[in-house]
Amino acid sequence: MTDERRWIDRFVETAARQMAQRTSRRNFLTRLGSALVGSTLPLLPVARAADDSRLPPPDDAALKGDAGDPKSCDYWRHCAIDGFLCACCGGSQSACPPGTEMSPVTWIGTCRHPGDGKDYIISYNDCCGQSLCLRCRCTRTEGEKPIYFTSKNNDLLWCFGTKSRAVNCSVAVVLGVATKS
Amino acid sequence: MRGAAVVLLAAAAASVAAADVGGPALDYALNCQGCHRADGAGTPGSVPALAGSVGKFLRVPGGREYLIRVPGVAQAPLDDAATAAVLNWILARFGNDDLPADFSPYRPAEIGRLRRDPLTDVERVRRDLLDAIARSK
Repeated sequence: MTDERRWIDRFVETAARQMAQRTSRRNFLTRLGSALVGSTLPLLPVARAADDSRLPPPDDAALKGDAGDPKSCDYWRHCAIDGFLCACCGGSQSACPPGTEMSPVTWIGTCRHPGDGKDYIISYNDCCGQSLCLRCRCTRTEGEKPIYFTSKNNDLLWCFGTKSRAVNCSVAVVLGVATKS
Repeated sequence: MRGAAVVLLAAAAASVAAADVGGPALDYALNCQGCHRADGAGTPGSVPALAGSVGKFLRVPGGREYLIRVPGVAQAPLDDAATAAVLNWILARFGNDDLPADFSPYRPAEIGRLRRDPLTDVERVRRDLLDAIARSK
């Protein structure tokens, strides 16, 4: 064995022993598992619209007050929502409560994020299969059209293509960033 | 070890960049996608699919006109140029494999002329066209 080989062996052995003293295999597996699960969970087929929520949402942490609170009607994504906020009903701003089904048919608009000033494409999906949540009622109408533009009206119940037509609450899923070009 | 986890998470985050959407893709998202869905699959029983279907209408007489006269296109809150652009985008994205060899993209003047003649019995016309498509195979 050459001197160079022996040097490498000693280096690797020392590094391995130091790592073994600082960490454990269980620690490694725990962190690796957390990393993999954390990066995979958003890809689960919860619902087609929810798949889109794997897009990194804009940074809400910098927002102050109700504009950054998904349980508030003033939350920035709720600029054209009409219904009960799922964040108050056991779900979140982009996920339905357990036991309900996200309607695949929806209406889509844009809301401006007060932090970065960009216009985000928002899908307002109803969550269906249980009676009305009755918490956090919210009605806002930015960009909403009258009922004769049915595809742009939020007074409608949007539980189409679901097993039940009963609406429970509404989510506001970010689909992307609207650009002019 | 913490570094390894950070690297893995960073790689996962980098693989899903936020999508900028503009032009006819944005018009599709705001005016069509809510019902026809992002992948053009529609919802059986409620909304017709575009994927694997829309291009076939151009293979039968009356089909080209039908795609303009259907309510969702004729009444879309878009001007003729934007409507032509989004319709061509839909055909390229969801019907490219079905387009006839002599297909020419929709032009704004054609949209403007035909959207003033909307369908009064959409279901019947659609059924007749689907029958024609089936017979043409």
